[in-house]
Amino acid sequence: MTFHRRTPDSTLPGMVGPALSPANAWCFPAILAFLVLAATLHAQNFTQRGFLETTALFFPETAPNDSAYAVGEALFRYEAFYKLTNLRFAAAFDARTDTHEETARDWGGLWWDRSRLRPLFAVRRLSATYTRGRLTVEAGKQLIRWGKADVLTPTDRFAPRDFLNVVDADFLPITAARITYGTQSDTLDLILSPRLTPSRVPLLDQRWAVLPPGVPVHELDPAFPGGPQFGARWNHIGAVAEYSFSFYNGYDHLPLFHVQPDVALQGADVQRFYPQMRMYGADAASPLGPVTLKSEAAYFTSTNPQADNYALWVLQLERQAGEWSLVAGYAGQIVTQHRGTLGFSPVRGFTRSVVAHAGYTIDVNRSLAFESVVRQNGQGVYAKAEYSQAFGQHWRATAGFALVRGEATDFLGQYHRNSHAILTLRYSF
Amino acid sequence: MNKWHKASPCAAERSSAALSGLALLLFAALAGPLPAQDARQIVEESQRRGRAPSEHYEGTLEVTSADSKVTRKSWQFWRLGSYGNSKAVIRFTAPAEVKGVALLVINHPDRSSDQWMWTPAIARDRRIALQDRSTRFFGTDFSFEDLEERDVDQYEYRLTGEEPIEGAPCWRIDARPRQTKTSQYTLSRMWVRKDNYVPAQYENFVKDQPVRRLLQKDIQNIQGIWTARTLEMTDLRRKSRTILRLEKLEYNIPLKEDEFTVQALRRDQ
Repeated sequence: MTFHRRTPDSTLPGMVGPALSPANAWCFPAILAFLVLAATLHAQNFTQRGFLETTALFFPETAPNDSAYAVGEALFRYEAFYKLTNLRFAAAFDARTDTHEETARDWGGLWWDRSRLRPLFAVRRLSATYTRGRLTVEAGKQLIRWGKADVLTPTDRFAPRDFLNVVDADFLPITAARITYGTQSDTLDLILSPRLTPSRVPLLDQRWAVLPPGVPVHELDPAFPGGPQFGARWNHIGAVAEYSFSFYNGYDHLPLFHVQPDVALQGADVQRFYPQMRMYGADAASPLGPVTLKSEAAYFTSTNPQADNYALWVLQLERQAGEWSLVAGYAGQIVTQHRGTLGFSPVRGFTRSVVAHAGYTIDVNRSLAFESVVRQNGQGVYAKAEYSQAFGQHWRATAGFALVRGEATDFLGQYHRNSHAILTLRYSF
Repeated sequence: MNKWHKASPCAAERSSAALSGLALLLFAALAGPLPAQDARQIVEESQRRGRAPSEHYEGTLEVTSADSKVTRKSWQFWRLGSYGNSKAVIRFTAPAEVKGVALLVINHPDRSSDQWMWTPAIARDRRIALQDRSTRFFGTDFSFEDLEERDVDQYEYRLTGEEPIEGAPCWRIDARPRQTKTSQYTLSRMWVRKDNYVPAQYENFVKDQPVRRLLQKDIQNIQGIWTARTLEMTDLRRKSRTILRLEKLEYNIPLKEDEFTVQALRRDQ
């Protein structure tokens, strides 16, 4: 297999360039202004936190498109909050780098997080929240999470993720206005996002992109949709159960691919696109004797003739017992209309699986965690074990190993060369 | 006689009142600050004296493990309302890695509390199920259940004796949860100080075995309410101990209902 390697992100035509875009130009000074202003105002209303984290990933095997055995990453995250009587302001930014050119080396993507690479600097949050009685309005860049399940959250439509590492994906913030109205027992959540923030997909020149052997692939500029996204969710908290219904109309943050033969290249041109999507979802949680049952289901339709119509659902049981926390469940998928378009969807790829998570607290500073995903056909397995220890008030070290096994035809199994050891050191403040 | 008889109503009242007063004084001298109290009355009085519309403090926690390793944490605590009908928020301020993690407790007079935990790193709230309340709260020796208020109506009480705690005379009372109350403990034994009705110690049992002991020390009068400023919780099975010190304690501060909702947990991170 051959691959046209394009290391700096800006060399791709139409992708984010090195210069600051208008959106980027104002948001960084805005954050600085916020921090200076907040720090000089009433200290009691100002809180901050953050961390510096370095991670080393060691891969025993190389991949056809990636000869590296080790990847190093560093992330600095700073968050600040300022509170007035009815108004709250939040600001957060990330600064990151790595050894594997997964992070851009320029200032692109500071606000609109649409680049292939992770941005060097990114605004993670910059929002204002107004509260009056039962009404809360938050506008700006923010993290929005829906759903109750842990093993898979089909209704979590406003939470794109960074899938550069498919099995360890951080959530990405979006730009939106969120209106929440309700009491303790009933809450209505309305969200309007003017522009899609896509999930970040594996880079073609690194191991998490599994390409067809012997076919040169040329990636074209992605076709981003221009329209807004809208969602509504009603949540009810009862004495014996908590449940919600949700609706989403917008675009899938995970791409499908247009694939066209490239005669000159004797390969293929690939272009990401994000089909229109409508979701009808529900989730519930209820204690059942010794365990808590959580369930979540969503049905997805699309007006795009290339996108599938399908339903995803999750059933999981939870239990805390002594120092153990246990979660086990099944994630399922029903395709009602199959269009056969090539796509990248870990959300769907992790379905038809038994999923389990276990955590054990050894003592106040040390813990163990295990998680596994086993495809029901036995063709793909992901298992991870992790040991974590805190040192003093600020430091934490985590060491673990992730095992990926399976058939090349399986979503999980195709990453069978990507088993890896993880070592993370974090300083929190 | 006649004279005596004529004079009798008023005199009789006075003598009766005098006798009653003497009897009361004698009884009080023998029995303690209030007469003829049963266990429930003592607990009710204890709760009545500790009642305040709202409360805030900054808690510093020192967790000492069985092998004597010490870890420090701190949180902010806000409470609105009183026993049986109160709401509380605990938000961690240290160590740095758990800063912003918060717990909302909604207490009910007729059943166990509702609890939600907010984890800012993943922007998710999680309801703490009843069966999970025996779990330790963020590495401290307090369980989730220990953080809820104990309304007087949710227990059956029995006065089992008197015993001093750290030199202070106390009533010893056994409290067993009623059927409507879901509890990890089969019995909570409490020692209530006779001088100010502040509970000096709790010992919680599971099947006749003491599992957690809470010692309440450093009792001070804060805005007219006798309050223990130091709470020492010992996990008798793990042999670990958490000391919670209440700093900057204030009662009767202005708090709003809408600061005690799941939405507020997310909003105030």
